[in-house]
Amino acid sequence: MDRGEASDGAIVRAVLAGDVERYAELVRKYRDRYARFAARMLGSSDAAEDAIQDAFVRAYDQLAQCNEPDKFVGWFFLILRNRCFAERRKSKDRISLDAAQAIEAVERTDRDMETAERRRTLQLALLELTPEQREVFVLKHIEGMSYGEIAERLGTSVPSLKMRMHRAYDRLREQLRDRT
Amino acid sequence: MRHEDRGFHPDVKRLLDGELRGGLDDLAPALREEAQEALRLLAEVDPTAPVVSDALEARVMAAVRAKRGRRRELVVRLRPWMLAPALAAAAVLVLLVGRVLQAPTAQAPAVASLTVRFVLVAPDAQRVSVAGTFNQWDPSATPLVRTAEAGVWAATLTLPAGEHQYAFVVDGDQWVADPAAPAIPDGFGGGRRNSVLTL
Repeated sequence: MDRGEASDGAIVRAVLAGDVERYAELVRKYRDRYARFAARMLGSSDAAEDAIQDAFVRAYDQLAQCNEPDKFVGWFFLILRNRCFAERRKSKDRISLDAAQAIEAVERTDRDMETAERRRTLQLALLELTPEQREVFVLKHIEGMSYGEIAERLGTSVPSLKMRMHRAYDRLREQLRDRT
Repeated sequence: MRHEDRGFHPDVKRLLDGELRGGLDDLAPALREEAQEALRLLAEVDPTAPVVSDALEARVMAAVRAKRGRRRELVVRLRPWMLAPALAAAAVLVLLVGRVLQAPTAQAPAVASLTVRFVLVAPDAQRVSVAGTFNQWDPSATPLVRTAEAGVWAATLTLPAGEHQYAFVVDGDQWVADPAAPAIPDGFGGGRRNSVLTL
């Protein structure tokens, strides 16, 4: 049977009915989708991968509570997001170091190094924002989502997102001035 | 107002938000330099996506398989504020523990009935019962009792074959549908759902 076309809802229902192996289809389909979001939220690729793994296991645990199985991925995103928020509270200092190291690892040429250095500076500044501020910045300026899309995804309003973002701009400006 | 002094001008923020159609040209000349600084900031975001290890899927599935055996004992802490129907966090299971075929009599044909065990994991509950079509939705008719396992409530009933609707009632007034069973709207509006058990 070709399961490549199965909807997320069909897969979720199959897993809940006991066909646990089909959960792998959801993992395969969405493992990369929010990797960049998680990496920017947490400051390192390793931490992002851990968070994605945990979020998938947590989503499996709570799968019966996924009220709209066809919107699995939006629901999964919220689990991952909560995981990212919790992680940052837990180990802020360690992750900041990881952030610097992880980004250094991709430095190759001088020009790349300059770019990497600037990116690292911004990433470290991002880590100084509150998770809520960082989240809206990452979703808009890295994931390319509009305020409207973010508001829908997070169940909040555009004006409150803008307020968060505008504080983020100010704090980033301060951070970058202090660091350069 | 130190913060204000160091922050970007509101028009520059609108530029960063992509709300100025003409870009820099829409800004007062005095703001251009500040706007350049702001745009440089955005240019420094790292657009690269990390490579997720191929082992992730295997690790997730290993964890999931390990849970499969325990799934029916999954403890989800149930707290009053989680009991809104959409958030109902109960782990509920219904086990068919036996099948009884009542002997046909002269008056009645054979009726299959089954023994069903209702289990709710609700560590914080003081009282739990099950109400449904089989007891006229009476929350006091069928209490669940605490089992030896912490937080687990259970009741065993013998029900006739056919479709039954039910919900759990926690602490007398919190109605909880079984999130692991099929559910249908309760017919009263308001978004509440009843679980459906077909024997």
